[in-house]
Amino acid sequence: MAQVNRKQLLDCALCPNMCRCECPVVQAWGKEAVSPSGKSRLAHLLLEGRLSWSEEFLEALSACVGCRGCQTLCPFPELDLAEELLAARQEASQAGVCLHQVAPYLGNLKKFGSPYGQGRGLAPAGERGAAVLYFAGCTAAANNPQSVETALALLEKAGVSYQTLDEFCCGYPAEIWGDLELARQLAADNRERFAASGARTLVTGCPECRWTFTRRYGAWGIELPLEVVDSTTFFLGLIREGRLQPRPVQGIDTVTYHDPCLRARLEEDWERPRELLGLIPGLTLVEAASSKEKVRCCGGGQMAQLTFPALAETMARRRLAELPAVSAALTDCPFCRESLLVGGGTVMELTELLGRACIER
Amino acid sequence: MSSLPETTIQETNLSKQESSQLLQQLRTLLGDDNVSAAAVDRLAACRDYWPMGTLWFLEGKAPALPDLVVWPRSTEEVAAVLTLARKHGVPVTPYGEGSGALGGVIPLRGGIVLDMKRMNRVRHLDRENLLVTVECGLNGALYEEYLNRQGFTGGHVPQSIRCSTVGGWLACRAAGQFSTRYGKIEDIVASLKAVLPDGTIFQGRPVPRSSTGPRLDHLFLGSEGTLGVITEAVLRIWPLPEKQALLSYAFATLEAALEAIRRVIHSGARPAVVRLYDYVETSHHFPETKEAEGRCMLVLISEGHSDIVAAEAKIIDAYAREHGAVACGPEPVKHWLERRFNVSLASTLFRQGAVVDTIEVSANWSNAASLYHAMQEALLKVEGTALASGHWSHVYPDGAALYFTLCGFPPGDKADYYKQLWEAAMTSCLALEGAISHHHGIGLHRGLWMDQEHGPGLEVLKRIKKALDPDGIMNPGKMGLEEALRWRK
Ligand SMILES: Cc1cc2nc3c(=O)[nH]c(=O)nc-3n(C[C@H](O)[C@H](O)[C@H](O)COP(=O)(O)OP(=O)(O)OC[C@H]3O[C@@H](n4cnc5c(N)ncnc54)[C@H](O)[C@@H]3O)c2cc1C
Ligand code: SF4
Ligand code: SF4
Repeated sequence: MAQVNRKQLLDCALCPNMCRCECPVVQAWGKEAVSPSGKSRLAHLLLEGRLSWSEEFLEALSACVGCRGCQTLCPFPELDLAEELLAARQEASQAGVCLHQVAPYLGNLKKFGSPYGQGRGLAPAGERGAAVLYFAGCTAAANNPQSVETALALLEKAGVSYQTLDEFCCGYPAEIWGDLELARQLAADNRERFAASGARTLVTGCPECRWTFTRRYGAWGIELPLEVVDSTTFFLGLIREGRLQPRPVQGIDTVTYHDPCLRARLEEDWERPRELLGLIPGLTLVEAASSKEKVRCCGGGQMAQLTFPALAETMARRRLAELPAVSAALTDCPFCRESLLVGGGTVMELTELLGRACIER
Repeated sequence: MSSLPETTIQETNLSKQESSQLLQQLRTLLGDDNVSAAAVDRLAACRDYWPMGTLWFLEGKAPALPDLVVWPRSTEEVAAVLTLARKHGVPVTPYGEGSGALGGVIPLRGGIVLDMKRMNRVRHLDRENLLVTVECGLNGALYEEYLNRQGFTGGHVPQSIRCSTVGGWLACRAAGQFSTRYGKIEDIVASLKAVLPDGTIFQGRPVPRSSTGPRLDHLFLGSEGTLGVITEAVLRIWPLPEKQALLSYAFATLEAALEAIRRVIHSGARPAVVRLYDYVETSHHFPETKEAEGRCMLVLISEGHSDIVAAEAKIIDAYAREHGAVACGPEPVKHWLERRFNVSLASTLFRQGAVVDTIEVSANWSNAASLYHAMQEALLKVEGTALASGHWSHVYPDGAALYFTLCGFPPGDKADYYKQLWEAAMTSCLALEGAISHHHGIGLHRGLWMDQEHGPGLEVLKRIKKALDPDGIMNPGKMGLEEALRWRK
């Protein structure tokens, strides 16, 4: 079980909240309890046994989208508050406390392997034993199946032989919701299924899944038998090799790119999506007021849309106010796309745009 | 029901029945989402960054808890809450981002904490007159970021800019790091809107100046929530500076440096940043600057129109050299710019059992150096004090602000030590005619010395308080306007 680093948590609890301007949660919600240091103070008192766990305390500690905005200003180089909060939340589960809004999603995860419920995951397709395994992730599969179809069509177009599986959740949502046991179980199941697939490369369009596969599985004691690549990097490679040849996309000339927090902050990769956009002819990229490592979360992090819908919507509107007026806002994450849609403009995943550039007439 | 920690200085709370009735009424007024009686919200509103609050937190205790937390979204909602509170005699304490250093937000008598953070919009930018209208719950760094994106600066950068609100700045008469050029918050504010304790809305007018009786807007500056709630302000802004000069000098003595600064300011130059560190802080902050070894470092930033910057740099250089300084170039200033928001050492020291605090006062030039020596001596005499270092900043034609950083490992009770430390600081400051606070304000704790600071003048303030807030509902027990029953000398 991931342990809270009590010393670091206490350092944070004793800080005057020097990063709160970059915490999109407290800025959108305005509740002192969900400020970065406010959460640390609460977690400290709970872990010290000065307070006993309750749903309202757990809710405050869960009000974190994992964006690491706080880390950009934090003077403690070792401190990763989002991780400490994740670990603290596991202790709530031990005490038998769970958020009521989480229960149905957790139930779905346990029963069906997708937080969205039965029949919402991806179905097996492609060629059995193919070297490339496409992993859509729960949200794209359930809520934006066109983007998954587009990704697969792009693979086909480029002559990549691929397969998809009857997908199970990567496990991260289970950890977010305090059930590390379930997260590990899902991870172990995934390892088995990935191994059995015979694939050598897993391509995913979801940064949270990728992050889980590459960085969390190790901590959970799970080694994956294949390389994990994000869809943008993979498709960029196919363009560079000349296997995909983007053409101008009708009706889309100016675009902006919203960096998913995990990609920008933890993987420090903001160049590749921009490079890909640069390879689609006729596009002008207009940067958002805060972008790349300075991006602000759109409310999609840690599946806040499901568990804190009103907060997530406020965060999305704040983020939208930072985006320039363009013909399409692009992103690289199914959660970001969903969040940003609240503004009613054209929001697409990069894959979807690339599909229009390479496949449609 | 969630548990809540023991409180240390709570005077009263509402009864359960009063609290639940008020909760219903407030929900009707503001909507369910904007009112809370939940333990999690009450606990979060129990304190600010006053060191005693931190020390009690480490013991698992809270200073005092409100009964309800309310998030107004407009001036009218604030007025509705105050009208209701007054009708029932319920205490109301405004809360910004809780960076206050003196316990100003602690709801000693329970009641309502009015959290201002949902009033965070920029209302209007007036490019011609260089004015901006903002709601008072707006975070300082986001305010400055908004202006920067439009090509302006607010000129107000307190070290707490990332964790304080515009309303908190006004309520505490704050001062920013660039204040010598742009002024303190009282110079920056053009007008403000405030709700009086009976629900009346006061609206000042953003005129450049007026001779129409006392400037009423200024009554609320430094009132720390005791006279009403500041909801909106019109602030002066500046175009982003076209040029910046980063200068630094090492002086053999503090006295020589103070004299050089005095002459620079008397020449009419107004560098934005002027910071003079004593020997201890110089060696702590600038260990890489060899020329500064065993000396006192002065860092300056001049900014604005390039001609003005060039002239200021020349004046500064001439006076600095005349007073024996060694020029150390821009590096120490860059180092300060990079490190200026890092307060991590305080967390670490608190964690290790220390008592950490800062005390800022002000003095005329004639007393500047002697005040530093007298206060330092008094502070170090208090048993347990390990460090009492100082720097000067915020410079005026008639004097400057002196800021002490303190760290002690008390041999006995921490609260006793803390009071002794402050008694030493305040008494030595008053003896040399310094002001007991330059910019952190009074809050709860410094109220203990308000009578000595003001003498009979405090009575004037008390009468104003009585006239505006006859029932004493606004932030009771603060600013020395009445005795705090459980926090005494
Ligand atoms: C690390 C650190 C550095 C600091 N550096 C500086 C500095 O450089 N310069 C400086 O001046 N101060 C500084 N301070 C002190 C503090 O940040 C300021 O006093 C700040 O103005 C407080 O703003 P806040 O929003 O956090 O107010 P809070 O702490 O929430 O409240 C402070 C007081 O103002 C009242 N109040 C808040 N909002 C309103 C409102 N809208 N209407 C009426 N009353 C209100 C509260 O009731 C309380 O009495 C520093 C503090 C810290 C922790
Ligand atoms: S994350 Fe870092 S900067 Fe933010 S409150 Fe905690 S210690 Fe302070
Ligand atoms: S990770 Fe993001 S949401 Fe979580 S505390 Fe830090 S800034 Fe706030």
